[in-house]
Amino acid sequence: MTFSHIDIKGIVAPFSAVGKVWEHPGTVCYPDQTKTVAPGYRGFHTNDLDACIGCANCQDVCMNDAIDMVTITQERNPKNKSACIPRIDYGRCCWCNLCVDVCPPDSLSLGQECIHAAPGSQDFLFFPKEPS
Amino acid sequence: MENRLVTIFHGPQHPGITGNMSVELDLLGETIHRARTHVGYLHRGFEKLIERRTVIQAFTIVCRICVPEPDPNEENFARAVEGLAGIEISERAQYIRVMVQEMSRLAAQLLWMGGQSGSIGLETVGQWSLYDRDLILDLFEQLTGGRVYHMYTYPGGVRRDLPEGFLRRLGELLDHLEKQLPRYDRTFFDNATLRKRAIGVGVIDPDEALANGYVGQALRGCGIRRDLRRDNPYLVYDRLEFDIPVFDGGDVYSRALVRRGEMRESIRILRQVIAQMPAEGAIMQKLPKHRKFTLPRDDIYVATESARGEFGYYMAGDGSEYIRRMQVKGPSLIHGFTLLESLLVGEELSNVALIMNSLGICPPEIER
Repeated sequence: MTFSHIDIKGIVAPFSAVGKVWEHPGTVCYPDQTKTVAPGYRGFHTNDLDACIGCANCQDVCMNDAIDMVTITQERNPKNKSACIPRIDYGRCCWCNLCVDVCPPDSLSLGQECIHAAPGSQDFLFFPKEPS
Repeated sequence: MENRLVTIFHGPQHPGITGNMSVELDLLGETIHRARTHVGYLHRGFEKLIERRTVIQAFTIVCRICVPEPDPNEENFARAVEGLAGIEISERAQYIRVMVQEMSRLAAQLLWMGGQSGSIGLETVGQWSLYDRDLILDLFEQLTGGRVYHMYTYPGGVRRDLPEGFLRRLGELLDHLEKQLPRYDRTFFDNATLRKRAIGVGVIDPDEALANGYVGQALRGCGIRRDLRRDNPYLVYDRLEFDIPVFDGGDVYSRALVRRGEMRESIRILRQVIAQMPAEGAIMQKLPKHRKFTLPRDDIYVATESARGEFGYYMAGDGSEYIRRMQVKGPSLIHGFTLLESLLVGEELSNVALIMNSLGICPPEIER
């Protein structure tokens, strides 16, 4: 009786997977543990109202029409003659960062916060927070 | 009992289908008598969406044409715009782009390994490979700010410079992946289950492959050495040393071995990029403002070697800030229809997922 047709190596070698048991797991126990978001991550927008000039460049470049310029009454940059600031619709935004690229005073940026859950579509309309 | 022809739909919601598409199968017992590919579940009309956006706006759409591997799309788009607008990019930006392409290729091959191992019940390997892919995505997150859609390769260069210590971390990841490859050999590529299931299955004839325009592993898996990075070099690929892995079998196993060889070559290329990349230099050329960025009345075809084969873009400008016409030529159209439908005839039902995965079919790219 010969066993030359049996792929002994191909049958035995996969059992080396057992060695992985002794290694540290690559996953984390969410939500007890969370992964740190990298600096520069493209999360929700922040807008520095002291710097925003209400120019609407961000609205113009947005390819998803996700940005509306909305009139505000609160304290703002004196150069903001339009009295408008951007409001983002996160049902449409694709976090491409183009609005940040074209912002002349660099008031708009993408922060590291990225988790939001809400039942209604109107809950996805955000005024960007002030940067921390 | 008399054998009856039974028609079933394999997909669109089936773990063995590569994305949102389905294959209509006429079965005689377990054997496939006829196969017909159905798409249309994912049509978003990328090409038309792009024609209604300015050059700068359109850039954010192209990465969505292939979810597992968006970077060849960004590269094609950027190179087509640069070609039409006459923009030269810096040497440092070219090296960064090669780095992004090869990281993307590695991530795509690891994702493929996850799908292929799952299709034959070797789930452990899939979990490992997806974890290793996640380590690459971690680096993409640091580099681009996004894990899957990077939106990083931009006409004129790249959008951000490398973060502090990025090349060192990339080198450490390559060390880790090099240690993992022999482990994947033992558990996947040399596994008797894979060999038994994949050798002699889904065989492609080399003459047919050339005549029908198959690309990537479908071509290299039947002994034809074709790779755009070597045949028609772009960026700085002509300054880098790498081999084109080729196997003669033409079957699913040969295509798997080609992919395995390509992972090793990508690691080799990335090591050279780390060593050769200029430490300083511009990463982005000065570009016109949003509404002033126009393309001349001209057209161009550019192509990039993706992890699944040649990926080409035809682009035409008309003197305005809009792209007059853009057409995507990816590997999935020919592989998903002409090749898949003929390869499945005579095969067992259980081999459908195996063959589909080996061809790297990606439905969004068919329905662009």
